Amino acid sequence: MALKVYDKLKHSIRYFLLRRLPPCQQMVETISQSMERKLTLRERTNMKLHLWICAWCQWYMEHLHIIRNAARAKAADPSGPSLSAEARDRIKRNLTNQN
Amino acid sequence: METQAPAKQPDCAAWLDQHGDYLFKYAVFRLRDQTAAEDAVQETFLAAIKAYENFQGRGSERTWLVGIMKHKITDHFRRVAREAPVGEGEDEASEHAELFRESGQWTGHWDPDHAPTDWQATPSELVERIDFWRVFGDCLAPLPQRTASVFTLREVDGLKSDEICELLNISANNLWVMLHRARLHLRNCLEVNWFKRPER
Repeated sequence: MALKVYDKLKHSIRYFLLRRLPPCQQMVETISQSMERKLTLRERTNMKLHLWICAWCQWYMEHLHIIRNAARAKAADPSGPSLSAEARDRIKRNLTNQN
Repeated sequence: METQAPAKQPDCAAWLDQHGDYLFKYAVFRLRDQTAAEDAVQETFLAAIKAYENFQGRGSERTWLVGIMKHKITDHFRRVAREAPVGEGEDEASEHAELFRESGQWTGHWDPDHAPTDWQATPSELVERIDFWRVFGDCLAPLPQRTASVFTLREVDGLKSDEICELLNISANNLWVMLHRARLHLRNCLEVNWFKRPER
């Protein structure tokens, strides 16, 4: 019984907040800006409340941080195509000609 | 202390064999353009030959060369930013409105078909997955060049917001808008083309 009341209450609060807070489309922009500057108190409060009730935006924020951390870890250890033998020879030639 | 004086002229061929491939990968990861990356490698070595006397074997050669290459890459981004038509990166980058509901009670909230899901991945796992980085590069490719440049400077090289603004001569607001659009696009593209692929 108590659990049911609690669920209902949670649902109502969630619904109430979702109707009044900025929608996800606006929230993702705030989430991005939170990685660039200090948010205003109002923005911060809205974001915290929104994240509290919206799992999708929680994932969104987590993903942005995963991308950032992975990209920065990869920065010094880049994978990808190798320098072609042709380009290597051309550069070698150009360097020797310069000398 | 010093047993032999450093040679005034570096051995270009040996340099290229030792560092050419790494520098090329370093450049192509950021520029996503093979020709531009080859040019950056060449410019880096040319600048290094000129500045060789200043280097004189202090520290690691690789680190020194990478330092020079960073400048070459930044020059490239600056050129791109200057040459891009006015408004590029402001209007042309997709807003991805289709990711959000366009009508009804929940207008502006995630469309359930496009909403983020659990990636179940950590950065350290992703770093090891070579095909992830191919998808990453493919996902950045359709972005306007300037948008992709600011994303790379910020998220790969970790430059600060105000450093990037000064470098590319753009306003902070402009930068934030571009970063937001790049992230929105890239996150969705990675989810569709990597995280939701059953065979990964």
